[in-house]
Parts: sequence; C-alpha cells; structure tokens
Amino acid sequence: MWMSYIQPSVTVMTDDLLRMESIVKTFPGVIANDHVDLTVRRGEIHGLLGENGAGKSTLMKVLYGLYAPDEGTIRFDGEPLRLDRPQDAIDAGIGMVHQHFKLIPRLSVTENIVLGSREPAAPFRQENLGDGPLATLRSSGPVQAVASRFSLGLDRPKRRISDLADQYGFDIDVSAPVRELDVGQRQRVEILKALYRDVDLLILDEPTAVLTPVEAERLFETLERLVDDGLSVILITHKLKEVKSVTDRVTVLREGEDIGTVETATVDRSELARMMVGRDVLFEIDKPDTTVGEPVLEATGVSAIDDRGVDKLSSVDVRVDAGEIVGIAGVSGNGQKQLAETVAGVRDPTAGTIEISGQELADAPPEEFVAQGVSFVPEDRHEHGCAGDLSVMHNAVMKDFRDEQFGDSVLFDYGSVGDFASELVDDFDVRGVSDVTANCAKDLSGGNLQKLILARELARDPELLVANQPTRGIDVGAIEFVRERLLEQRNRGTGVLLFSEDLDELFDLSDRLLVIYEGEIVLRTTPEETTREQVSVEMNGGGDAQVAVADADPADAATRRAADGGRSEQ
Amino acid sequence: MLVDIEIDAREQTPSWIAYGTPLFAIAAALAVSVVALVAIGVNPIAAYVEMFLRPFGTVATISNVLVRATPLILVGLGVYLPMKAGLWNIGAEGQLLAGAIVGTWIAINVTLPQLLVIPVILLGSAIAGGLWAFIPAWLRAKWGISEIITTLLFTFIAADIQLYLVRGPMQGGSGGFPQTELLPAAAEFPAIPGTRAHVGLLVALLIVVLVYVSMNRTRFGFRVNFVGSNADAAEQAGMSRYRVYLLTLVAGGALAGLAGISEIAGNQSRLHASFAPGYGYTAVPIALLGRNGVFRMLLAALFFALLFVGGNRVTVAMEVPSAIIDIVQALVILFLITAEFFQRYRLSVSIGRRDDGRSIRGSEVTTDD
Repeated sequence: MWMSYIQPSVTVMTDDLLRMESIVKTFPGVIANDHVDLTVRRGEIHGLLGENGAGKSTLMKVLYGLYAPDEGTIRFDGEPLRLDRPQDAIDAGIGMVHQHFKLIPRLSVTENIVLGSREPAAPFRQENLGDGPLATLRSSGPVQAVASRFSLGLDRPKRRISDLADQYGFDIDVSAPVRELDVGQRQRVEILKALYRDVDLLILDEPTAVLTPVEAERLFETLERLVDDGLSVILITHKLKEVKSVTDRVTVLREGEDIGTVETATVDRSELARMMVGRDVLFEIDKPDTTVGEPVLEATGVSAIDDRGVDKLSSVDVRVDAGEIVGIAGVSGNGQKQLAETVAGVRDPTAGTIEISGQELADAPPEEFVAQGVSFVPEDRHEHGCAGDLSVMHNAVMKDFRDEQFGDSVLFDYGSVGDFASELVDDFDVRGVSDVTANCAKDLSGGNLQKLILARELARDPELLVANQPTRGIDVGAIEFVRERLLEQRNRGTGVLLFSEDLDELFDLSDRLLVIYEGEIVLRTTPEETTREQVSVEMNGGGDAQVAVADADPADAATRRAADGGRSEQ
Repeated sequence: MLVDIEIDAREQTPSWIAYGTPLFAIAAALAVSVVALVAIGVNPIAAYVEMFLRPFGTVATISNVLVRATPLILVGLGVYLPMKAGLWNIGAEGQLLAGAIVGTWIAINVTLPQLLVIPVILLGSAIAGGLWAFIPAWLRAKWGISEIITTLLFTFIAADIQLYLVRGPMQGGSGGFPQTELLPAAAEFPAIPGTRAHVGLLVALLIVVLVYVSMNRTRFGFRVNFVGSNADAAEQAGMSRYRVYLLTLVAGGALAGLAGISEIAGNQSRLHASFAPGYGYTAVPIALLGRNGVFRMLLAALFFALLFVGGNRVTVAMEVPSAIIDIVQALVILFLITAEFFQRYRLSVSIGRRDDGRSIRGSEVTTDD
C-alpha cells in the first residue's frame, strides 16, 4: 500500500540536489543494494531507514566514494558524479559524519578539522607576501612547496571554525584537545569538519546511537538550522521516532531492496515499521500484572570505583524482587556501568553488601554469582559479552559450560554443546549462523550477537538478570524481540535490573524506576507516578539541566514543577 | 600508469590455499636464498638436495631428524600451551635449562634401577621447569606484569646458574672442561630399537596427544581457549583468569623442562656449558606456526628439526659457512609466517585503472578554499 506514496523522481528536477538511480552493489553471496533509488532535495532532511544489514551503509559508502557501484548512476547538482574515493565526494560537496568518529584525541578541535585541508603558516600565504627580497624568497617555488607541506597556519581556520560554531550555537572551545570533549561535542566537531569544507550535503550515520535523549534533541535542532541555511541532510537511522520527528521525506530499505520513498508527514510509525521490517511490529508492550516474590538482589550501601580508580558509585541501595523489572535511568557515565558490574559480581565493591537470594556475596568471585543464578548482559557486547574469535557454540555455553548435561567432571562433550547451541540459535532466531561450530561470534551483526548473548543468559532461567543497555545499537526487530523476552522472563519470576538510556523502554518495561546521577540514586518512583520530563530532569542533575530541557521546550513549566517535586521527594 | 593494490579479508579460505600456502612459502624462500648460495659459489640445487632430501635417505638419517625434533616438540608445547591462554612464554629456554640442570643432577646422584630412575628424572625436571615458570606466572596472574619480560629475564638467570654449576659444583669428567660427568648408563634414555631416536620421542608424542585431548575434549581446555580469546568475557562468566594463567604457564615450563632433560639423557649424555642450543627461542616460531592446533605444531617442530639437521649436513658436506644456512633458515621462517597473511586476506593488483590526472589531484594539498 505504501507504493502509492513513491514520488516519481522526474517531477521536480530543479529541486533535486542528489539523484542516485538504480544503484546495484553486490558482495559475494549478497546483494547489498538491489536497484536502489535515492533522491534528496535541496534543504530537506532525508531519512534513510532500514534494519541493520538492509543496505543503508552500503548505499552511503557508494555515495561517499568508498565502494564502486556495480550498476547505477549518481547525479549531484545536476551533474553526473564519478566517485573513486572519498576525496572526490568531499570535493563535490558531500560530507559524512561516521558513526565511529574519525578524530584524533590528542589534537585540538581546530587541528582535527583542518586535517587534510590545511593551509601554510601566515608568512607564506599569498596575501601576506608583500614586497621586498624576503617576499621574493618566500614566494619562490621551493619555499612555497616546503611551506605547504611543513608549516601549519591555524590562525585563519581557527577564526572560521569559531564563527561556524557560533553560527550554529555549538559550545566548543576550538583550541581544546578532542580527548577533553564528551561524545556529543565530538559529534559537533565532526559536523563542523564537514561545514568547514563547505558541503552541500551532509550524511549522518546513526548519529543518535551514542547520544543521550537530551543531546539527540540538540542535534536535531542543529540539523534544522543547517537545512534552513540551504544544506541537505541524509539521516541514516533505524529509529522510527527520529524519522517521524525530524525528517521531511524518508527512503526505506529492506534486505537490500528499495521499498520506497514517502513524505514523512503522510505515514505513521506503524506504517514505517511495516515498510522496514516487512510485517506488523507491536509498539504497545503487553505487561501483565504479576505478584513479586522474595528479594533476589539486595544491595546496600554499595560504593565502587572505575578502572582508573575514580569514585563512580557512592553508597547505593538497590533491591530487586523476583518477578519485577527495576529500571535504572541515567545519562551514560553516571555509575550505571559500575552498579551493573558490582551487582553482577564482575567488579568488587569498595564498600557495602550485596545479597543474592539472601546470600552475602559482595567479595565473592564471579563464579559464585553465576552459580547463584545471576545472569548479566554487559553494556559492551564485544568486550565483555563474547569471545569474538571463538565459535558461536563456544559463546553459547560461556556461562553454562559447567552444567552436567555437557559431560561429567573432566571431559566436555562438544557434541551436546553443539546441539545446545543450535537450539539456542533457533529459539532466539539468531540469524547469520549456518554452523555453530564454524561461525565466529564477531561475524554476527549487533542485534544477532545480542540475541545470542540474551539466549545464553536466559537459558539458565536466572534468579536475577542484570541487563545493561540491552537494546542499544540494535535494529527495531531485535529490540522488540529483546524487550519481549525480558518481560517473559520477568513473568517467569526472574528479577530484572534494567539499565537503559531509552526512556520509552524504561517506561514500557519497568515496574519500578530509579534514576542515577553522579553515582547516587536521586529518584525512586514508578512509571505511573512520574513523567518522562521529570526523569529527564533528574538524570541531568535536577536544577542544572532545566536549562537544557527548557531550551528544548520553553513553554513547559510543568517540567520545572515536576523537577522541584522530584527533588523534594528524596 | 598506476599500480593499485587492494587487500580484502577472505570470507573463506579455499582448501588449496590453506594447504598450498606453506609449500609455496617454502619454495619462495628457497628461491630467494639462491642469491646467498650463488654469491658464495655453491650450487643451490645440490645444497637443497643435501638439506631437504638426503635427511630422508636412510633410517639413520631419519632418526637424526627425530632426535632433533624430540626437544623441539616438547619445548614447542611449552610455548604453545600458554599461547592458547593468550600468554607469550618467551623464556622457555630458561625453563628448559632448569629442567636440564635438575634432571642431570638427579641422574648423576640418584642410583635406582633404570625403570625407576627415568620416571624420577622426568618428574624432577618437569617440576624444575614448572617452578622456573612459576614466579613469572604468578606475577602475570596476580599483578598483570608482562610475562614476556619476566620469563625472558629468568632465562638469563638460569643460563648463569648453569654456567656456574658446570664450572663449579657439578663439574666432572676428565680434563677440567666446563661440563658434568657422563650420565650413568641407567639414567640414559634407551633408544628405540634400530634407531638413534630415544624414548623421549615417545614421551613427547604421548604429551602431544594429552595436550590435544585436554584442549579439545575437556572443560579445562574450554576455559583456556576462552581466557585466551577474551579474558574479560571469561572472567564475567566466572572463569578464573588467575588460575588459567598460572596453570598454563607453569605447565608450559614443565614441558620445557622435560625438553631439557630429554636432550641431555637422550642425546648429549652430559650437561655442557654450551648446552644451551636456543631450542627455547626456536619454540616461539614453532608454536606460532602451529597455534591453530597441536598437530600442526607437531608438524612445525618436525620441519624445524629438518631445517637444523639438513643445514648441518650442508655445512659439513659442502663446506658452506653456517651463517649462510642461518640465512636460509631465517628466510624460510619469515616466508612461512608472512604466508599466513595470504590465507586470511586476498590481494588484488590492478594496473592503470585510474588515469594520472585524477590520482595526482587526489593527493594534492589544498592550500585555500
């Protein structure tokens, strides 16, 4: 039915900045782009929507000169465009903000931005040469050649970058080293980098994957300012909410195929989801009432430090009962990682007690926690969740390998391990696995790896599940799946401690909700008793963050009132 | 004209590449080595025949290779096992020396029937090698201090202790040479009938099988693989990094210790000052080439033994300086290790795909915009 929305691409030729027609790109065994059309108009924010592996990144790599298409044409600004390398795209006026920032932490903002397009130091520049013998020397060929390679003039770029930053309201010190900036600021540096090169088209690859909701809001404001100034923006995403809130039109890809381009205003979220996934997706999660049981986790006065020895958690109390989901909201870096790791037994607390089903385990090794029925879905799937170079089979039994079903005390029965792993892969619909013993964990996509990890952690029917950002960076189908499984596990009597930066997720799933800020729980509430605004304010430290929220929504006085209420509650 | 080289990761390694690459690498190394051989006026073909074919000529020559291979297999395992857990036992040489010293001492000073004394010698040198690895292992497991440095430094200590002993307390035999007296006949490893190869080879092969079983059929092997692949994830799952590091490095030391005594009691019959043959260092490329499976490591050890024995033959029979043979050996190792790259990556070279104008423009420094 959405086919009817497709814009015939010939209608408004003059408005089109970019026309990619019938792009085909195949890899051995995969058609990543199967005759995909993409037309971007001047001054629009164009969404490129699709699940992981739908071909979004491939299409953008073709546009950025990283891949040569097998078929198809690209016209930019009316001219046919031949792209052999990213420099060709940059020269044509296309800029890209990659998901993983391409910045050098040691260098300053300005140095990062002028990388690759620097200019010589002031005395050697044409307009400063003046007259006299010295000028003749400075303008001579060899001197100019040396100066252009070995001298660096930062004065003028710095001025220009500051002006650009001011123009778009970026609060960035252009001489600060990038390592001192937070994630949101680094992203703004990437955007500045593109603007500095005078792009007409800016591509952002999953820009909000690393941002908090407040920062994401700021980014969208920036994007709107950019298109007001005549730029065009391509926003690659798999988040429907973002597509609905900022894009003008959206092109949907599914498994390499071009599903169509629609005006965003004419479709609703569920239609977009259906285009993207190919079936109906449930947004309303059915959360039956359950009766909670005995406490499975009682953490009292827990303090912890991070790997560099900095205090990250100060005297936190958390209780999780069997059969409930306790959600922890917070801006990344406020102690969630340390809290998750201490209650999962991976990190030793510096103070406090941790009782799992009534047993004191604060100083016990991780093995004891595993034995007591604690499951853990860590924040970083690759670093802590799996051994990438080992097979899916190895990873599927990472927690359960001690189980008697896999052989007696010494020998390990890889035959039954393989069967068990295949079963998990089928049960949890982990795709991309043809042979559990041959496929490595690192070759799975993010969503599928997360499914495998969740399968492994849930197969044990744990007493307590600690899940840190279980749906971050995975596609909508996998998110739906993970959320359903979390609820299912809660209904079966597991206590779940859920850390998330996605407030919708927390509000949909949690029975109780805690907000963490700078290593302390600053609000204890339930989704029914509170609002997203209040939680958002508390996540950002109460009073301090009102400014940011007020900026986003100046009229919302209720937010501030709610914030005051929240503060007096503790 | 522009030469453009692209490197892509292979999704799958075709079997002809998997098995053919090592052979091709050796051939390429030998082709390059021709330059060195011709430079000193040696017929390369005759040299290669002497080096690689003649050792297979008779049972006696084959058993020479096996005698050489015996300590290499054992000490190779001593590096291989810690490597599986993600550790680099660079100091296997020191553990080998510790095993040789203690084994020799037991052999000379303990009088027991042959059937009893040999197990005691083996056990003693394994314990000595294991203990020599224990401190580096503990420092690594407990405090994260690099085992690469500590095991290597422990080698220097072992080497100096050995020199002191063969010149002092353990010096024996006639003529005051820096060496111990000959091992008593009961302590000599009996030869396998009809060959020069000794029971040490059987011990080595038995341990290869044991290591295979423990790595591929037991929970211990599962833990070792997991810790070696991602220690953080393994810890999260309740596996003890501490225990795996300690166990594998100490076991590696014990195997290196066995290598030491098997060379003394099976081949040299006494501990010389110049005993240190560098087997412990050779073990590193052996383990590296064989890191994907213990039977491959066995093959690598046999191949290195062939290189050594064949190299000796060329030096002796054709009066080629041993430095030239070192060059040939080094090139073979270099080519073999480089060749692994081509098993995992595909190299495509295209010539003149882009016209010159474009490529120059791409590398130009933009001075103003």
